[in-house]
Amino acid sequence: MFERLGQKLILKLQLGPLVVSLDLITVVMSLVVSLILILLALWLRRAIPRDPEAPVSRRLAFLSMAFEFFHESLLGGFSPELAKRLFPMITTLFLYVLFSNWISVVPKAESPTQNLNVTMGLALMVYVLSHYYAIKTKGARVHFRGYLEPYAFLLPMNIIGDFGRTLSHGFRLFGNIFGGAILTTIVLGLTGKVIAAMPVVAPFAFVFGTGIGTFLNAWFGVFIGAIQALVFALLASVYIRLMAT
Amino acid sequence: MNISGEQFVEALKYLAAGLCMGLGAIGPAIGEGIAAAHALDGMARQPEMEGTLLRTMIIGQAISESTGIYSLVVAIILLFVV
Repeated sequence: MFERLGQKLILKLQLGPLVVSLDLITVVMSLVVSLILILLALWLRRAIPRDPEAPVSRRLAFLSMAFEFFHESLLGGFSPELAKRLFPMITTLFLYVLFSNWISVVPKAESPTQNLNVTMGLALMVYVLSHYYAIKTKGARVHFRGYLEPYAFLLPMNIIGDFGRTLSHGFRLFGNIFGGAILTTIVLGLTGKVIAAMPVVAPFAFVFGTGIGTFLNAWFGVFIGAIQALVFALLASVYIRLMAT
Repeated sequence: MNISGEQFVEALKYLAAGLCMGLGAIGPAIGEGIAAAHALDGMARQPEMEGTLLRTMIIGQAISESTGIYSLVVAIILLFVV
């Protein structure tokens, strides 16, 4: 049932003719991120007072600010009705990717978004949802006739473009986070070796390692993680909007 | 010194990964720089449009970045999978 693939622990399940393999670290980290999000949501929900006349607390101000930010920047050009429907999905996507990227700052923890299966799953979900909302708002006939635009012989181009978009959507997040993780490991290993080879500063290797590690984690974990989460959610909303209107 | 075929392939693998990443990073870097430069231009001219410009700039940069990401994926495949 449990197998080792390289350094990873894989859980193999036999479901009829299918063999399902799960990367245990990714599953556990993903559940941890979900747990953090649920606890955060419960904690923030307690800030909403029962009567609307009560004075605004700090948490409530933060909550309304966050809502306004999500509405403005993630769901900019949608019609109000569609924006109301998509708001929970896009915001959850953003928060999930953001916290998955940020959790790599914790030592020994690994972001779930370092795994291609997670990012491709999210991108595929966005792809299916964009078709769903397109059929819902425009009707199936108009939507699928859109593939024959502007000329009928461009149909293969349109289909390839569709898949390429989803593929690059998933690969972009994976590449950024995984590349950052590789770079952090390589640079930390290299500085350790270089400093150990120098006679004067060798006793202070720990200080250099901590400084460089903090900088790399702040850059790749916090900054790039936030930007990529924003980009992922923005692109998801743009793809759905392009299809649906 | 004799170099066996396997060692030759191994060496070429690293060379290919380095070339792939190095050449593949040029295009996106120039493209993103151009996008940022023009967005800054627009922001300096119309500071009240900053939010919209920033959002559009980030989307454009993320899309023009995807060729760089493809080369990164190819380099990772060359290094760890092949």
